[in-house]
Amino acid sequence: MHINYWGEIKRDSLGRAGMGTLVVLALLAIGAPIVSQYQPAEYTGAIFQPPSSQYWLGTNDVGQDIWAQLLYGARTSLLIGSGAALLSTFFSVLAGGMAAVLGGFGDRVLMRAVDALIAVPPVIVAILAAAYFRPGASMLIILLSAFLWPGGARLIRSQALSVKERMHIAAARTFGSSWPYLIRRHIIPDLGPVLTAILVLNFRRAVFMEAGLSFLGVADPTVISWGKMMQQALKFSYLEVWKWWLLPAGAALSMTIAALTFTGFALEKAINPRLKK
Amino acid sequence: MTGRLYGILLIIALAVSLVVPLAGCGGQKEKGTQAENTYTVADATGDWGFPSPYAHYFRGPGYIRMSLIFDTLLWKNEKEYIPALAKSWEYNAGENSYTFSLVENATWHDGSKFTARDVVFTIDYTKMHPYQGVSAGVVKKAEALGDYRVKMYLDRPYAPFLEYIGGTLPILPEHIWKDVGSPEKFQQEKALVGTGPFILEDYSKEQGSYLYRANREYYQGKPAVDRIRFVKMGSQVMAAALRQKQASAAQVPPELGGALDEEGFFILAGKHDWVAKLMINHQREPLNKKEFRQALAFAIDRQALVGTCLRGHGLPGSPGLIPPDSPWYNAAVENQYPHSPERAALLIKGLGYEKKGNFFEKNGRALELELLVSGGGQGSPGAPGDREGEMIKGQLEKVGLKVSLRSLESKTLDSRVAEGQYDIALGGHGGLGGDPEMLNRMILDKGFNSARYQDSQELNLALKQQLTLMDRESRRELVGKVQEIYAREMPALPLYYPTWYWAHDGRAPLYYTLQGVGSGVPIPLNKMAFVNQND
Repeated sequence: MHINYWGEIKRDSLGRAGMGTLVVLALLAIGAPIVSQYQPAEYTGAIFQPPSSQYWLGTNDVGQDIWAQLLYGARTSLLIGSGAALLSTFFSVLAGGMAAVLGGFGDRVLMRAVDALIAVPPVIVAILAAAYFRPGASMLIILLSAFLWPGGARLIRSQALSVKERMHIAAARTFGSSWPYLIRRHIIPDLGPVLTAILVLNFRRAVFMEAGLSFLGVADPTVISWGKMMQQALKFSYLEVWKWWLLPAGAALSMTIAALTFTGFALEKAINPRLKK
Repeated sequence: MTGRLYGILLIIALAVSLVVPLAGCGGQKEKGTQAENTYTVADATGDWGFPSPYAHYFRGPGYIRMSLIFDTLLWKNEKEYIPALAKSWEYNAGENSYTFSLVENATWHDGSKFTARDVVFTIDYTKMHPYQGVSAGVVKKAEALGDYRVKMYLDRPYAPFLEYIGGTLPILPEHIWKDVGSPEKFQQEKALVGTGPFILEDYSKEQGSYLYRANREYYQGKPAVDRIRFVKMGSQVMAAALRQKQASAAQVPPELGGALDEEGFFILAGKHDWVAKLMINHQREPLNKKEFRQALAFAIDRQALVGTCLRGHGLPGSPGLIPPDSPWYNAAVENQYPHSPERAALLIKGLGYEKKGNFFEKNGRALELELLVSGGGQGSPGAPGDREGEMIKGQLEKVGLKVSLRSLESKTLDSRVAEGQYDIALGGHGGLGGDPEMLNRMILDKGFNSARYQDSQELNLALKQQLTLMDRESRRELVGKVQEIYAREMPALPLYYPTWYWAHDGRAPLYYTLQGVGSGVPIPLNKMAFVNQND
């Protein structure tokens, strides 16, 4: 199943909007030191300033530039989101692929483990983990991946079960291909569209979970995050500052999630022709 | 014709006779509604426990809710001790005892007479079942001298006696509590029979609400309001609740004090009885060195913390722990640790550390500290969190100390500190406005709020002695010395004291109590503000 992903996204208007937003966000995140004249943790001495030419989105309760925080927050969201998406998809492939290939008892054990992990409440575990491990960016990526992979593993397993029964796989086995060879050369390429969909889905969930954990105050406090910005802004909802502090952070998070959703829809359409008009 | 006239007059008279009482009823009802004046206090936390003496939470708001129902022997207003169940008291220095003359017109809420037997019972009962924060063990013997006189013999001179046994310990009715074996579990209606100005009508743990009705038979005068209600409300909406008359009093954010003042509300700026502290684990290297702890005090700019993180609504921490507006404050310690990264660096160098690049190190190992902060953003207004942690990290790294900041849920942080699993941590507590006995609790005790520092014999001795000095001036001098030793030893660094603001509509003359309500609760909800003592 060979799909031109870029071409499919370009053809879909939602896909174009989603991908365009992501590209702009990524560019702003990369160019943050150029686009902003302040460091996000810098104390400017001007507290609760409204938006102006000096402070584009005003300043927060300790005098930090909100525009700079918004840009650096994008870095965190995109970095942790993409990292967690890649790692969790890798785990999903590993577990789902193994379950499909092993079958029988191995399949049952792996799938029951997946069921058990899906039932675990992520927030409680994240709070506990934060108590014992230092929740830096890498720790957060591992933690989020641990919660994200089980859903993908189920999908991969079901797809892999279907793929391994296909004629060309059976033919390759007849010619003596080993399972590692089959997985590498046939099964994984055939799972490509599903993998891409899982990747985008996990990316979206990871961005949301990262913001949620930061909002709860269990992430690394030195990392600038949209969730943390919202948590801090909410404390001052009785002042006018929420307009230029809470709303931009909330809007940025919503835009990122919407962009990933649109991209995901476009890819889903490409994978599943029945969704096309 | 006359008959018709009489008929009309009769109808009018009947109509009037019907309408007037009806109008009267209406008037009565309206008057009754006005008379049913409920005083609503908004609270961000809500539930502070079942308001019996042994079941309320051991925090200031819990004590306030209990104190409306139960009286103590004496009480305090904004200036001095005032009579409560004891109309007078005296200290007999020769035999180290106190004699209390009790009021004769006090009754329990169930109608029973209050007598000296209840006081003696309370002392004996609290020796077996210690009441939170008050040690009745200091009373060797309590005896009733008739129905309305009590004498208490102390086993040693105990300076905070009036503050704690006299003014904090709630007096219990013997006829109810004599058979109660587990007071914490005793949470029936009978557990709320006191002598206080209010009677609990309703309590909802889930909703965090309390409703009290006035005790019209209160021996000190009729309560000025018919009902007091505590309702749970987010701190962000308290000002709106005041404006919409949904609340009569609430603690409000500092930024709104000015606006509410202009709108005609009464603003009470509190004293600085709550301290934010840098907890230091002096069991670990190099934090076990006095010089290193002093270096931390020089490195951290306490004034900048107040200016930036509190936006000026607070006072920088005094190195002696006691706030500057306390009568026990020793001004000699004030300028002991001005912000000086250079002096901090010198002290660290003196401990054998060398600066390589940006950070100090010794034997090839970088000097790194983990700073724990509470990231939930909950707790007392002005409590330190991420913001303060970030700023302190920056200040310490400027000196050359590498700091890794770690945000934890507040209860997890408390337990880590209690178990000694930390280097430095941000915490805080109230009670500084109370009797200086709290210094012993906050320096020597084992709780997570305490510095748990017993390494200085000089400090231990001074703390022990200050409890036994019955002369206030001598005690003040010794408490001053305690602050000097504390500043030198620096077991935990006081960072700042936030200013708390309460706003109220003036229906009750709220005020801050001398040394706090009971044993130092810095909340302006003294029950006597709701009582017309002249009635």
